[in-house]
Amino acid sequence: MTFHDAAARDFPPFSTDLCIKCNVCTTVCPVARVTDEFPGPKYVGPQAQRFRGPGVGRDDPDRTVDLCSGCGICTRACPAGVLIAETNNRARAAIVEERGSSLRNRLISDTDLIARFGVPLAPLTNIGLKNPLARWMGEKLLGVHRRGPLTTFARRTFTSWWKRRRGATALPVIADPARTVVYFHGCAVNAFEPDLGRDAVEVLERNGFTVIVPRQECCGLPFISNGLYGRARTKARRNLSSLAKFARAGYRIVGTSTSCTHALKAEYREMLDLSGADATAVADVTWDICELLLDLHDRGELDADFAPIAEPLLYHPPCQLKSHGIGTPAMDLFALIPELRAVDSDHDCCGAAGTYGLKVERWQIAQDVGAPLFDKVRASGAERAACDSETCRWQIEQSTGVPTVHPITILAESYRRADAGVGESWRRIV
Amino acid sequence: MPRADVVVIGAGLAGLSCAAELAERGARVFLAAKGMATTHWTHGGLDVASPAAAPTSRDGIRLLAAMKSHPYRILAADADASVAAHLARMASEGLEHIGSLDAPLTGIPTAIGSLRRAAILPLAQAAALGPWDGEGLLLVGFGRYRDAWAPYAARNLRHAQWPGGPSVVAAVEVDLPGLERLRNIAPHVLARMFQDPAWRTRALSAIADALPAGAWRIGLPAVLGLDAHAEVHADAECTLGHRVFEMASLPPSVPGLRLFEALRRRILASGGRIQVGFDVVEVERSGRRVIAIHTEAASRTLRIGGDAFVLATGGIGGAGIRARHDGTLVERVFGLPVAAPPRDRWFSDDPLRPHPLETAGIEVTDDLASPNLENVRVIGSSLSGMHYLDERCGDGVALASAHRAARSLAGTKAVAA
Repeated sequence: MTFHDAAARDFPPFSTDLCIKCNVCTTVCPVARVTDEFPGPKYVGPQAQRFRGPGVGRDDPDRTVDLCSGCGICTRACPAGVLIAETNNRARAAIVEERGSSLRNRLISDTDLIARFGVPLAPLTNIGLKNPLARWMGEKLLGVHRRGPLTTFARRTFTSWWKRRRGATALPVIADPARTVVYFHGCAVNAFEPDLGRDAVEVLERNGFTVIVPRQECCGLPFISNGLYGRARTKARRNLSSLAKFARAGYRIVGTSTSCTHALKAEYREMLDLSGADATAVADVTWDICELLLDLHDRGELDADFAPIAEPLLYHPPCQLKSHGIGTPAMDLFALIPELRAVDSDHDCCGAAGTYGLKVERWQIAQDVGAPLFDKVRASGAERAACDSETCRWQIEQSTGVPTVHPITILAESYRRADAGVGESWRRIV
Repeated sequence: MPRADVVVIGAGLAGLSCAAELAERGARVFLAAKGMATTHWTHGGLDVASPAAAPTSRDGIRLLAAMKSHPYRILAADADASVAAHLARMASEGLEHIGSLDAPLTGIPTAIGSLRRAAILPLAQAAALGPWDGEGLLLVGFGRYRDAWAPYAARNLRHAQWPGGPSVVAAVEVDLPGLERLRNIAPHVLARMFQDPAWRTRALSAIADALPAGAWRIGLPAVLGLDAHAEVHADAECTLGHRVFEMASLPPSVPGLRLFEALRRRILASGGRIQVGFDVVEVERSGRRVIAIHTEAASRTLRIGGDAFVLATGGIGGAGIRARHDGTLVERVFGLPVAAPPRDRWFSDDPLRPHPLETAGIEVTDDLASPNLENVRVIGSSLSGMHYLDERCGDGVALASAHRAARSLAGTKAVAA
């Protein structure tokens, strides 16, 4: 059950009174599975919630709530409709508001800031990211684990490529809203994975869409997960003011990160209480790219001229995708590619949970949560894995050594192979 | 957008079994549930029918089927096949069971030291069944594990009327290695620990060291592993040198977790889809047919189209039916009419007697179709007319109705293709 739906149906803003103490949530929690330090969603959520709030007391009754990685699996498992993960996220934010946040958490959440320095200095910053001594210092000085899943900066941002390509950034004078989409690339595509952004544009254009890339910032999700709601709201408001005019004009917003799109769809309203018309307008038209392409396919409008990719592929649906409530559209799209043998990981969580797996005090938990997935990836014999959220990809790749790509990269590759002609050796066309 | 031959709503024993059978028969199945269901709270055995007067489950079914509005009135004929199919499904997932509809219903000990009547149990609970051949019953508790209290259960059992029971009832409490360092000792936590062969060896020898001399059957808390359960149970019997049985206690129930997981795996392996965590918020109808349900999602709803729909959302207890302040009861998904006692009979003076509202549910035709919506089947405790706690018939009705619905849908064009 999602928070705004609950509100629309007159549930109290905090649904914790509905808890029947059945403990189903504790059986599915990936963090409680691997560490005894975390008593589980029920204890830090509905139990502790009775001792939170005005007039109850200053100190949070259960500060282990900060061990929650925010995967949301508890909320989906709850038979009674308690918004457990959402309650816990808000509890963390209240603690952060009262006691402040560490420099580390403020820094690793600020992805736009990191990109602003990281990309222009890319050769240097990348040496730093790969250098064991630098990473050791990062751990000692900042608390970012030396083996935390980080990827390298791109030499050029996605937006600078878009500018050079003279791509549209504003509302066109004449355009068909049904055939024009706004691309929300997110900070990861911009600073780390611009190739994914190009793949997305290529796939969208091939299917007859005109793509607009308006001004945008990080969605703010890293701030939300770190309890820094004030900063998250600043990001959210800027994005909403840039995106709302497209939403009102009937354009769909499409993203390649199921984390960013979930923030636009749900978290701006559920966590940040941005319940204005802009937030609703944007949420209503935001789509995950695979969700959009599958919808196109359902209407018989997807270019299904996919060339074979004869390989096994282990696909991991990230927690954020599962919170969308849209199934696993990537798996349905993979089924359209001849000879691709995609297998669903059927594992709950990779452990990364955004910035969680980077933190020196959380790294081991994140590794233990993801361990069965890493075993499956290694055992799959696949040369690569696929996953829709960036930090999950980096976590899987770093922990297994198996390159992990976004599903769109596979689709784009299949299209390119179709163009190159069956039988010819395939070459990447940039 | 997902499209299925049959959309099953609800992830309890009824919904999971129906989805599994339909998928096994080759139907495209989509199971949607708003959350986990009661499998996680149950003892893991099968309560097919054991009203007080029935010596076997088959007798129980006969007695219940003679009642005016009981679901067994139309489902009795499906009991044999549905139980057999369920036990075969469980066995194929490594969960062997013993017992049958004709096995005598025998008192077995519970975690609070009462007796409940059972005849069909997972292999690991089978040693709780009589007859007892002069052995004593030894209940083992684990130090610091508070959800199963062996001395308390043993004290109550010593006072229980237990004809043909054990010669003596005793209890010991054993400190398992490492438990003193743990803060959160829940059943599933212990079950995961038992999966680890090295820890298991040390834990079982700690229990073996604490056993008093004598011929015993040993009752352990139901925490003997999850997917490696059969191996853990075999190890326990081997190391302890006595027959060992599991006793379910407070939720979450580890035998229930195994049951859920076995059925989940069966559905996925047969090509079915499962979505847990999103409530049905809208129903699309065309005349007297349902053509799609919509489940809640992060922004837009998810439309799940289907040729037929199975309602397995439970009764009052499972929240498939809700009571409103105006004194009416509503079925939450399709708004089907609910058969229930009038408002002035919603209250009962005696908490230990069957509650009148338990019987609330949906009235159906002989093939479990809703009279109002022709392509909707109703199964499990959504059905009206039973006191499933007192009659101990919930699992049997769930399985028989799931089987009947799957069979009747498999004969329609929805699944024939």
